[in-house]
Amino acid sequence: MDYDYSKLGMSEEELFARVEFDGSSSEKIAAPKYSYWQSVFRVFFRKKINIVILALLAVIIAFAYIYPTVVEYDKYANLMDSAAKHLSPKKALEKFGNSIHWILGTGAAGQSTFDAVWYGSKISISLALCCAAINMTIGVVIGAIWGFSKKVDAVMMAVYNVIGNIPYILFISVMVMLFTPSFWTMVLALTITGWLGIAYFIRTQVIIIRDREYNLASKCLGTSTPKIAMKNILPFMTSIIVTLLATEIPSYISYEVFLAYIGMGLSDMSLGRMIFEAESAMVTPGWEFEFWSPVAVSAIITVVLYVVGQNLGDASDPRTHM
Amino acid sequence: MAKYLLKRLLQGIFSVMIVVAIVMIMIYSLLDRNLIFANDSVFSHQSNNSKETYKYAKWEEYGYLDYVPYADYLLELVKKGEIDEETRKAAVGIGRTAEADSDIVKEYVAKYTEYYESQGYKVRRMDAVMLSGKKVADGGKQQLFAYKDIPLLKRLGTYFAGLFEIDNINTVEEDIGDRGLTFTLYDPVYGGEKFSPAIIGNGTKHKYLLYFNSKFPYIHQNIVTINLGTSYTVNKGIDVFTTMTQSQGSYVKSTVTYPTGLVEESADDLHTATYSVGSRETSLIYQERFTDDYTNVGIVKSGLSKMGYSFSIGICAVIMSYLLGIPIGILMARKKDKLVDKIGTVYIVFIIAVPSLAYIFLFKAIGGNLGLPTTFDMESTSKLMFILPIVSLALPSIANLMKWMRRYMIDQMNSDYVKFARSGGLTEGEIFTKHILKNAAIPIVHGIPGGVLGALTGAIITERVYVVPGAGNLLTTAINQYDNGVIVGVTLFYALLTVISIILGDILMAMVDPRISFSTKDR
Repeated sequence: MDYDYSKLGMSEEELFARVEFDGSSSEKIAAPKYSYWQSVFRVFFRKKINIVILALLAVIIAFAYIYPTVVEYDKYANLMDSAAKHLSPKKALEKFGNSIHWILGTGAAGQSTFDAVWYGSKISISLALCCAAINMTIGVVIGAIWGFSKKVDAVMMAVYNVIGNIPYILFISVMVMLFTPSFWTMVLALTITGWLGIAYFIRTQVIIIRDREYNLASKCLGTSTPKIAMKNILPFMTSIIVTLLATEIPSYISYEVFLAYIGMGLSDMSLGRMIFEAESAMVTPGWEFEFWSPVAVSAIITVVLYVVGQNLGDASDPRTHM
Repeated sequence: MAKYLLKRLLQGIFSVMIVVAIVMIMIYSLLDRNLIFANDSVFSHQSNNSKETYKYAKWEEYGYLDYVPYADYLLELVKKGEIDEETRKAAVGIGRTAEADSDIVKEYVAKYTEYYESQGYKVRRMDAVMLSGKKVADGGKQQLFAYKDIPLLKRLGTYFAGLFEIDNINTVEEDIGDRGLTFTLYDPVYGGEKFSPAIIGNGTKHKYLLYFNSKFPYIHQNIVTINLGTSYTVNKGIDVFTTMTQSQGSYVKSTVTYPTGLVEESADDLHTATYSVGSRETSLIYQERFTDDYTNVGIVKSGLSKMGYSFSIGICAVIMSYLLGIPIGILMARKKDKLVDKIGTVYIVFIIAVPSLAYIFLFKAIGGNLGLPTTFDMESTSKLMFILPIVSLALPSIANLMKWMRRYMIDQMNSDYVKFARSGGLTEGEIFTKHILKNAAIPIVHGIPGGVLGALTGAIITERVYVVPGAGNLLTTAINQYDNGVIVGVTLFYALLTVISIILGDILMAMVDPRISFSTKDR
């Protein structure tokens, strides 16, 4: 049967030309070019929703970190003006003119809720990032050692069983009572035992992977333990760590809100403290914006951080890179 | 199995003891001990030297230190028979300054100082604070006392030794006549005619050691009392365990026949009578009603206890979350990547990511708009007020159960035995209900005891938002008011519940899954 070879874009002679045997090329192992982080981002950006959420995250970060440096915010600027307190957005815009400051109304001291929310977000996000960075670093390092060494395992399990039973609020409140409740005290309070849970999680993961056949083979071939940890186990853990990070960062924001609500929060105007102070405004008609704005912003921040982290965690799993 | 569980239980109790030790170090050594007076109005009304001695007396009361005033030392000497009453009277009046002491006072002060300093006490003498000339300032009387911080081990020892108090006929120190227990088949509280067995003690702390009444669990005992720690500010002078378990609300009056035969409409609960020294002599009211010094009675109230409210809300929430979370999780696993799964995932993300405070308030607002009561009222008989707290508490645990149930089901779906069952021609329904579900339920079962026992401790935010008079706020209130006794007591209670629920979870898991065995032979 005749076949039209021109469809393939090559002439019949080219297609059937003889290729000489080359002994040296059989020594090379052909594999497609693969870069781990490039593939991570390729997979991450393949989902269009991720771009939207990332843009939202960029807007939040810009408002939380750049907006407060540009705009002068004084909580007590309108303190003497009794007509400026507890205004709904509509009334605030009428009173102060059309400006971005007043689109969420005013609070108990006549301050702009919009500005207050972003000042609060800055503190809350910073707190979450600091705590996550410290807890994750300590947790992952200790968890890895904990998983590898049987002697450390026995000691750490005893420590975990004891400390896990002490109510977390107790640690935090003792810290808050010992020092003034400043930003760094709060970081200390949230990290003093916070790493333990992460370390325990990592330990379990390390134990699961540690005794797999490929690690056994690697050990038989004489690979040193640090090299096994760095080359064989760490790449496997990347997606687990990123996924964990995705749940950790929002959890600190939630925790800060919770602590502020029960009266053990920061002395700075964080989002949690705003919610705590505006609690009575929730049920007062016309004042709702004071309460719901920080609640909504904290919810948006945590959801965005969580979704970005989860999707990044999915993308950093090499099995999705096909 | 029994041996293994005993070992686990002992390990658990040991770790609970260490927890209590750590908490004690934190609150007794790390915290400023002056903080406990922050809300004490008696303290703020004191001044000068008496303020100092008040402080030490309170610190002794709340377990910080051992405090011995000079006068107590002399009384002790009289009791031992070393000195007589005359000498005591002569020696007790210390001078305004050390130089002004009489010779006999000097002698005993020297003895006192030597005796207590040799035992590691610190002796402190405060001279009188004078206003002008001979007038002593308010509370400025001269003071002499010795004090010593209680070491941690001793504090731990006394705490654990005092946890369970067993009432016996020698509890009352005073002369009370014939000590002994009487067993009666006809409880005098019910007029002595109705059949109701009771054990009545004389010389015991409680009058009724065992009795029946119409309240659950119908049979009650006062032989063993649990003392978790005495409260200072939260519920002054009352033990933590009693604070959690005593009923609240308004008085419920009924016809009560007192031991003297007086019949009256009253809320007194005669079954709770405890001994109170010399109370009958001092009060006409007691003389009319009681024939002995067991006059300290409890009151019947209409509401549940703190723990009762927390538990009834918590247990309903646990039941609701298992009834909803597991079927939805299974449904999500069966319809993986379909619409149900996607909606469920959005809900899970919402619950995990949004601060719990935010969605509880959101739910409160929605419930309020639907006309449900948003605050708790103990006097109301409506059961509707329970709905919002229960739902708010169930929402996160439903999400959690959905998440794990879906995860375990999907993991099981890819395993070899499922492929084998499918190739054998079983229907998908059969595979799900008979094979996958049983395996996926194993890790879920582990959490049930924790959920049930955790309901006892209450929920901090939910109870605060809906003003539920439950146990959830006890720890935070105690911390805010620097109530050490309550902090230690509640921590011990929480830690015990955690240890017990983990052990119970393991037992339950071994019952569901025959492959799990606790005997060391099989390992």
